[in-house]
Amino acid sequence: MVTNDSRISHQGRLRLTLAAMLGFFFFLAAVLWSVQMRDASEYESHLNRQSVRRVRLPAPRGRILDRYGRCLADNRPGYGIAIYVEELRQPGRISRTVDHVGLVVDRLAESLNLEREITEEDIREHVVRNRPLPLLAWRDIGEDTLARLAESSVTFPGAQERIPGVDVTVESIRVYPEGRLAAHVLGHVGRADPDLHAEDVYHYYIPAVEGRDGVERVRNEALQGQPGGYLVRVDASGFKHMEMGRRDPLPGEDVALALDARIQRAAESVLEGVTGAVVVLDPRNGDVLAMASRPTFDPNAFSMGIARQDWNLLIKDKSRPLVNRAASGIYPPGSIFKMVVAIAALENRRSSPDMVFDCSGVYHVGDHPFLCWRKSGHGWINLRKALEQSCNVYFYQLGLMCGYERIYRMADAMGIGRRTGLDLPGESVGLLPNDAWKRRIVRDAWRPGDTCNVSIGQGALAVTPLQMAVMTAAIANGGRVYRPRSVLGSDLDPAHIIETQGGLGVRPGEALADLRWSAETLTAVQGGMLDVIHAPNGTGQRARVEGVRMAGKTGTAQYKRDGDDLRHAWMAAYAPFENPRIAAVLVVENSPGGGGLIAAPRMRTLMAVALGMEDDQAGKTVL
Amino acid sequence: MNGLIKHLKLLAKMNWPLTLATAALTTLGVLFIYSACYVSEDRPVRMLYVQQIRWALAGLGAFLVLAVFDYRRWLRHAVWLYGLALFLLVFVLFFGVEIYGAKRWIRIFGDAGIQPAEFAKIAVVSFLAFWLGRPGEDTGGWKAVLTTLGLVAAPMALVFKQPDMGTALIFLPVAFVMMFVAGVRWRILATIVGVGILATGLLLGALFLPERLGPAQAPVENTLRLAGVRDYHRERIVGFIHADKDPMGAGWNKIQSRIAIGSGGTWGKGYLNGTQNLLGYLPRTVAPTDFIFSVIAEETGFAGSVATLFLFATVVAAGLWTALAADDKQGQLLCSGLVALLFCHVSVNVAMTVGLIPITGLPLPFLSYGGSFMVATLAAMGMIQSVRIRSRKDNVFEVV
Repeated sequence: MVTNDSRISHQGRLRLTLAAMLGFFFFLAAVLWSVQMRDASEYESHLNRQSVRRVRLPAPRGRILDRYGRCLADNRPGYGIAIYVEELRQPGRISRTVDHVGLVVDRLAESLNLEREITEEDIREHVVRNRPLPLLAWRDIGEDTLARLAESSVTFPGAQERIPGVDVTVESIRVYPEGRLAAHVLGHVGRADPDLHAEDVYHYYIPAVEGRDGVERVRNEALQGQPGGYLVRVDASGFKHMEMGRRDPLPGEDVALALDARIQRAAESVLEGVTGAVVVLDPRNGDVLAMASRPTFDPNAFSMGIARQDWNLLIKDKSRPLVNRAASGIYPPGSIFKMVVAIAALENRRSSPDMVFDCSGVYHVGDHPFLCWRKSGHGWINLRKALEQSCNVYFYQLGLMCGYERIYRMADAMGIGRRTGLDLPGESVGLLPNDAWKRRIVRDAWRPGDTCNVSIGQGALAVTPLQMAVMTAAIANGGRVYRPRSVLGSDLDPAHIIETQGGLGVRPGEALADLRWSAETLTAVQGGMLDVIHAPNGTGQRARVEGVRMAGKTGTAQYKRDGDDLRHAWMAAYAPFENPRIAAVLVVENSPGGGGLIAAPRMRTLMAVALGMEDDQAGKTVL
Repeated sequence: MNGLIKHLKLLAKMNWPLTLATAALTTLGVLFIYSACYVSEDRPVRMLYVQQIRWALAGLGAFLVLAVFDYRRWLRHAVWLYGLALFLLVFVLFFGVEIYGAKRWIRIFGDAGIQPAEFAKIAVVSFLAFWLGRPGEDTGGWKAVLTTLGLVAAPMALVFKQPDMGTALIFLPVAFVMMFVAGVRWRILATIVGVGILATGLLLGALFLPERLGPAQAPVENTLRLAGVRDYHRERIVGFIHADKDPMGAGWNKIQSRIAIGSGGTWGKGYLNGTQNLLGYLPRTVAPTDFIFSVIAEETGFAGSVATLFLFATVVAAGLWTALAADDKQGQLLCSGLVALLFCHVSVNVAMTVGLIPITGLPLPFLSYGGSFMVATLAAMGMIQSVRIRSRKDNVFEVV
């Protein structure tokens, strides 16, 4: 209907206006379609990027067990008081929230009778750097505090309502139930720094520990398990809004050691009160049945993160308690090296077991006198007797007759002067000197006097107790040099370990060399070592264990420090003589007496326990 | 008693789709203002929706009174209304309450206040409808155009002075629509559009070219200052164009609003579950006001935002149908002017929240929190209904 009324404007223009307006709405709807339908996922992910944070949850560490499944490292729950900062938020500047949290901490300290553990600065730091995470105000609180927190509702003075945002948390804390036992083998943990190069990058890291030494370090990967995590949605100010998703961590695997806690305990007990080291190997496969070093430390001290002053005390201690002397300590071996000289001479046919030398108490090379420990001399003796009596003059002459190059090659083949390949960190190389070394360091040629010195385990020669143990095991098993092994494996069924009568049994070891010594050599050397213990005047007779045939060798290594003449007392031994399953080396630093006097009785105690002849000193049954 | 029945009979004649869409939108506004504020730490902000209900009730009163009141009598006195509006706009410049650097409010008592600019919009539309719709007035030529522009220039300048660029600029398209409906010749309208585009181009050029060409030149700066362009205008425009370069600064609202809308997806995250709003990425200060559409779009998705647009389209269509059916040119112009006003607010606000145009600070009718605007918008709907009620053409579809 068209009207010509002049008062009425153009109907068509109105319709056009309507069409234009609806058209524009249609255009807006199309824009909304593109934003909300077509690109929705893009905006969704943008939203998540800006508001979702990944938090890493450490897994409980696996345990460390001895070869019979006895637990040497475990976890315990540590209760803490956590403050959920987002529930204590104050409007306005962030410092108001920090102050308020400070008040809550004060109030908690007052109500629960606790010392404040965190400072205002800690709170500020937490709010700035870890805003969506709970703030741990106290860690590892006692049960009584826990009970008090549960019973009483902590309020502000005069207020009725419980203070919000305060809760109990549990964390897993590393614990070593046997205290210092095998501390150097187990190692310790320390606070783990976020691995920023890892594939999974998290926004926040719940404090975790990682192995810093020993098995804890070398088996860290298996022990630490798979970390889990959770997602937190944070608001525009970065406070936690809600937890979104969670992946539980996979606990770490248990790691079984070759160690026998019973023998380990005996090894530690024989070092009580002295500085030194013990290594006990299974000569059949190189399993480290015990490894002890004194002085030692308590690995539990590291579990919560060690205090700086305690750490300084440990690393500045002159006796260096953190060093595993069994694998890292280097000493002149003294007379226990004489077997190497004997084997080198016999195997190279430069001498025979029946070869006799005269000992008058002194042997001259040129003008220089080389002394025997027995001033009156041993007279004409053969190899076996020379070993039994540890005659120096015999070995000067045997060494010179053999020639140093052959001694060097034999020692080298037996692993002296190189790392044994132990599966623990920090092993020392020691020093097996030769002409090249001497020319480089001393700028002088190798002389017969040097050969004499090394032939009795002195001079520049330096070894670790572990190297001597590997050597002893090789003599016991007829020439197989095993790589010592402290870890048998992870992911072994502990029930299986315990049930099997022989623990993890005798698993094949890794032989680094099989020197295939002749029966003649072995008879002479092993016989000499048998006599050391069982002959009426054997130097190691104090190591004798009733009812067991045992072979051994004592040593007294002399060295000078600050002008004082000091000595280390050594004893190497294996047993049973016919079918050896224990090879042990013991060294006592700065000993008041020689190997026969100081080391042998300790070896006796150790061997008695290791062979199951008597229980360890404390008399307690372990299993 | 008789009067009441008479009035009710009159009301029964009103355009019901318009009323229902208005009621639906106002209800949605209250619901989503609650959603936008319920997590706030401030109690007054949490209770904003109650306040909005009060304003809606006040607006309902204005709606009913103006619907019943004959618009022709109203328009006859529009000149006084126009004068009052100008007076209030001057008054607010001197005695207004300053909020965020702008004087837009006149305090009446306590914290309650009014925004003269909101009433000025209606007053200007009313007076233009009266003036352009006078019987016998020639509205095809330059005279009508210049008169219109003159009548609009004064309130525009005063609003600009507050400063409130968004509200000031809204007068231009509204006046344009009214001139168009009044019958201004196409060639003149095209000239106006051409001049407008040229002026916008020059302004933008002056804003950005100096940056590109080298050190800003004093004459250009002076010209801009004379043109009333302030630093924060510049910032807003720059913020819009370079939002991605400065996401924490000027571009924040734009980016966050777009993320809110986009992440709403098809069906939204559910009422009270808008993440962007809950987490405060969409700033709480603007969520219930200028960015209420973001909240709706995030929580109800594409379905909800298009449904909302549909309700607005219903209002626009019903309003213009009423214009088509109006008895006189003044009623037609009044309806189309008020619809244009509403349409401009909706378009600019929605376009702003989806990031098509710079942040202007124009509220969304019926939905955004705001007292004066709520009352003014519902009053405008009442005036449209008044035109409908007085129309002798009962069936709208007769004229279509």
